Amino acid sequence: MEMVELTGSKALFEALRAEGVKHIFGIPGGAIIPIYDALYDEREIRHILTRHEQGAAHAADGYARALGKAGVCMTTSGPGATNLTTGILNAYMDSSPVVAISGQVPTPTLGRDAFQEADMLSVMLPITKHNFIVHRIEELPAIVRLAFKTATTGRQGPVHIDVPKDVQVSKAKLKIPADVKYEKVVKLDPSAEDVRKAVDMLANAERPVIYAGGGVVWSGSSAELVALAELLGAPVTTSLLGKGTIPEDHPLALGMLGMHGRMVANLAVTECDVLLGVGVRFSDRATGDVRYFAPKAKIIHIDIDPVEIGKSVRVDLPIVGDAKRSLSAIIKGLRTQVQRGRTSEWLQRIKKLREELAPRMDYDEVPIKPQRVIKEIMEVLDDDAIIVTEVGQCQMWAAHFCTIRKPRHFISSGGLGTMGFGFPAAMGAKVARPECDVVNIAGDGSFLMNSQELATVVENKINVVSCIFNNRYLGMVKQWQDMFFQKRRSAVDLGKVPDFVKLAEAYGAWGERATRPSEVAPKLREALRCGKPAVLDIPIDPDEHVLPMVPVGGRLDEPILT
Amino acid sequence: MKTRIFSVLCQNIPGVMMRISRDFTRRQINLDSITVGIEPTGLARIILIFKADDHMAEFMRRVLARSEPIVDVEVIEPERSIVREVALLKTRKLDDKKMWEAVQQIERAGGRVLESKGGVLVAELSGEHDEIERVVTVLGPEVLKEVARSGQVLISRETT
Repeated sequence: MEMVELTGSKALFEALRAEGVKHIFGIPGGAIIPIYDALYDEREIRHILTRHEQGAAHAADGYARALGKAGVCMTTSGPGATNLTTGILNAYMDSSPVVAISGQVPTPTLGRDAFQEADMLSVMLPITKHNFIVHRIEELPAIVRLAFKTATTGRQGPVHIDVPKDVQVSKAKLKIPADVKYEKVVKLDPSAEDVRKAVDMLANAERPVIYAGGGVVWSGSSAELVALAELLGAPVTTSLLGKGTIPEDHPLALGMLGMHGRMVANLAVTECDVLLGVGVRFSDRATGDVRYFAPKAKIIHIDIDPVEIGKSVRVDLPIVGDAKRSLSAIIKGLRTQVQRGRTSEWLQRIKKLREELAPRMDYDEVPIKPQRVIKEIMEVLDDDAIIVTEVGQCQMWAAHFCTIRKPRHFISSGGLGTMGFGFPAAMGAKVARPECDVVNIAGDGSFLMNSQELATVVENKINVVSCIFNNRYLGMVKQWQDMFFQKRRSAVDLGKVPDFVKLAEAYGAWGERATRPSEVAPKLREALRCGKPAVLDIPIDPDEHVLPMVPVGGRLDEPILT
Repeated sequence: MKTRIFSVLCQNIPGVMMRISRDFTRRQINLDSITVGIEPTGLARIILIFKADDHMAEFMRRVLARSEPIVDVEVIEPERSIVREVALLKTRKLDDKKMWEAVQQIERAGGRVLESKGGVLVAELSGEHDEIERVVTVLGPEVLKEVARSGQVLISRETT
């Protein structure tokens, strides 16, 4: 493209279009009006006006997770920008590429406490992969280019761009996209020596287990993961964010690991002799007490981010590299040596454990047991449906009991555990993948933290379904109080309001209530077909805990069962 | 805990010091010394000195290397480098005996007096951190009114 004279605002949209941006979630305000003025003429990029900036950030995050491309959110300065922060940190903790743009007071007033000024460079610094302030319009094209490159290269993550108002209105001759090189070196290929060692360890393993996480999702290496598991005869467990990287009805799939993981997964990791972690960060919620984590195993850890290796657990063989390339290289190496059926004794053991420890979901009680709700939801949804969760008990029931068959079809707030994430993230996922049914598995507490986005989904016809596991409690805190604080239920009772059906109807959404197990599936089908965003209120047993549970600092093989 | 020296090459942009220092703050590590110089290439060279065990030192190396504006992190072995610090000392108003003693101490450590007015000395001292530390301790607050120290700078020795 030739150099043409543009305002900063026009240049921003030129640059966003050059990055392939199709959707922006945001809210305007004083310091970003010139950019929204340029949006008025924009034909290719659809802007979705959310009702709170946190919703915009989570929506961009959900969009990125569902699509595998950067999500974009945009706000004004000061409170608009600070309202993004929870969503941005959430994306950072889960390595999700979000590009956040906010207006800023004009450069001559920076640092002088102008109206709606917040020092966003400092605020965003610790919660983004990288962040910029555009001091001069000439820098803008390069900064946008670098922001998207940074967000989507190596270990992905959010990037923030602060754009002062005078930069938005100033004019310059600019070339878009900018000729700028992203210079950060990311090691993608594993070293041949490391691969050889990994092949050796895995080929000689008697009881191998693979532990797959979000890195497998982002590198698009589910096929390689399954191929390696089958080649080795190695069962696969996943982190919360790794759900769906192996179809969870695959004979080698164990389900999620950890505090609320499947027992078979926790036992397999405790008994295995080689554990291959790939694209995981060995979160404390997954490992329990690290001294008893995989105590009999040599641990191989593949990660694109060297900081993760050895951070939480001891690692016998670190492999720095892209998950897809590393898994492919290991498969290639193994093809020359591995004998099939070698681990049959181990697989027999796994099969037996899996049958013995199969989770129970067929409860008929009223109020409905949450396990039964998940069972009904699973029966209604097809493989292409995207399940998004809020945070807390609802999330762990979903993680424990849902059978997910594809990557990017289970979206949840992992590292940060952000209540209020699910609903706006579901909205983002639906915008990214309109052809998929998108269901938000919500608790009543979480849902209320961003329920204002009901207005957004109704006005923009973003037809997501929220299933509210309604126990009128901050359920996970209540569970901890019941289990570890002598049932002293402090500040967790949410009372009797609101009526979620009426709340939905007030916004013009579909709202219904299912009080008996047999009502869940038909009403969910109706919700999915109603042609509107929907809220299905499901009163559940308020005393139900998420079990099994490995308490904080406990051992994976010693969970609390009842 | 062992003293660690990192030589960090990074983009010379506003906020880069904050990015680095907060990486340490978060891990509850106090930086003993930070010095910054601009390289002929225009990149900034930041020398960081801190205490950490082996595991944390390696972790911090990786954390810094991951940071977007950082180009390279070199772990400096004190034995393979020349480390220097500069201190400027100003004394209180001293009588002749005390002044003579102070001059002795400073000159013995290789320093020199820059100014002497009305019983107040201003002196310059450069050398290894421990030596400067020793002189400052020996003279003590009864003699010294102000001490300005550069922090430690270093350069690696030729290995050939």
